[in-house]
Amino acid sequence: MNEIDALIKIFPKLMQGSGITLLIAVVALLVGAILGLLLALGRLSKNWFIDKLCFVYIWLFRGTPLMLQLLFVYYILPKLFPTFTFDQMLSAYIAFSLNSAAYLAEIIRAAIQSIDKGQMEASKALGMSYAQAMRKIIIPQSYRRLIPPVGNEFIMLLKDTALVTAIALPDLMKITNGQVSATGSTFMFIPAAIIYLLMTTVFTFFFERLEKKYSVYE
Amino acid sequence: MSKMIKMENVCKSFGKLEVLKNINFEVTQGEVVCVIGPSGSGKTTLIRCLNHLERITSGQVFIDEELVDARVKGKDQLKVSHKKVSEICTRLGMVFQRFNLFPHLTVIQNVMQAPLLVKKTPKAEAEKYAMELLVKVGLEDKKDEYPSRLSGGQQQRVAIARALAMKPEIMLFDEPTSALDPELVGEVLEVMKALAKEGMTMIVVTHEMGFAKEVGSRVVFMDQGSIIEEGLPAEIFSAPQHERTKAFLNKIL
Repeated sequence: MNEIDALIKIFPKLMQGSGITLLIAVVALLVGAILGLLLALGRLSKNWFIDKLCFVYIWLFRGTPLMLQLLFVYYILPKLFPTFTFDQMLSAYIAFSLNSAAYLAEIIRAAIQSIDKGQMEASKALGMSYAQAMRKIIIPQSYRRLIPPVGNEFIMLLKDTALVTAIALPDLMKITNGQVSATGSTFMFIPAAIIYLLMTTVFTFFFERLEKKYSVYE
Repeated sequence: MSKMIKMENVCKSFGKLEVLKNINFEVTQGEVVCVIGPSGSGKTTLIRCLNHLERITSGQVFIDEELVDARVKGKDQLKVSHKKVSEICTRLGMVFQRFNLFPHLTVIQNVMQAPLLVKKTPKAEAEKYAMELLVKVGLEDKKDEYPSRLSGGQQQRVAIARALAMKPEIMLFDEPTSALDPELVGEVLEVMKALAKEGMTMIVVTHEMGFAKEVGSRVVFMDQGSIIEEGLPAEIFSAPQHERTKAFLNKIL
């Protein structure tokens, strides 16, 4: 029963760790979605320079490991530019947001491009500007198509947050690892796995509901 | 009567393919011009060049005797701002072969969206006018449905109402009945006939020869990017002058 006692004792810490895990994933998804939308619109822009600039961003952040990006923001950036010195939590927010923006940009771009081009033509023929057509006609139609891949991205993010162990943030994984080394028992991995599963399950259902909500017109 | 539309020496190429060859074309207020011809003859491109959905390669386009596009070999001779294009589009209503209704908006939202967004019409007013238009096309009871719940004929009638909501001076129809099941063609043509009777200036790209005969004030026959022959429907259908017109009419009538 030692393990159960240990679990009960460590439980509040596990919950705190789960909070950090969730917080990073949610912030990264929201900030990443806004940045990703801008990047996607940039990739669709007729302006050669903007298109290439966004391409390079996506190329850089998808082409290097997230772990490396995280370490870069936390350890290397302050050495290069002392103004950019962030604490662990903010470093995690920044690295995860910048990284998920690159993935979300490609998801959003693909969703926008999958909308029938007759929609843009009809909007323009009615006198709408490109921006008006995007905002009111094209992007709202892309929501439903966005939800499955964005849900997927979120679940990946949620699990990838375990990487913050590298900058000593006490997330769910870090707490678990600490407990395992302290007690020498690997039992603690089981509750951690269950908590991760619970979190991803809740969000899987959430995204399914969202998809249904946006399917009313089909 | 004023010239609503004038195209002068208009050419349009897609890469090496010449779709329009030196087109000279005019439409006077109140006319219903039916453009007929085999597929690939450039009929659709002709009307799409009017609202800048396609840019002409060379020539000049006038709307209401105002120069709205002038190009030589694909180079602008006249600076046309986005704002100007938008303004031109509000004067030209367009109905597409595949309706292109906005699937995420209800019927009445489809009709109201552009007046709200482009003309900044107050909501109550836009809604009132949208309802009037839905009554006109016989779909007031469908106002809260999504387009996917409507038949093709109903969708096209909503599309006509949507275009009319901007109070256009000219209506462009791009094969409005070609994507419809045969039994749904009639209801759309009825709406178009009613519109013509009200004196709306219309350019109708169509394969409906019956409609062209009955409603058209002029028929334009196009083939391989050129206007081959034009005249009163009675003349074109009973006594076509040109061999290609005869061959085309023989094939379809």
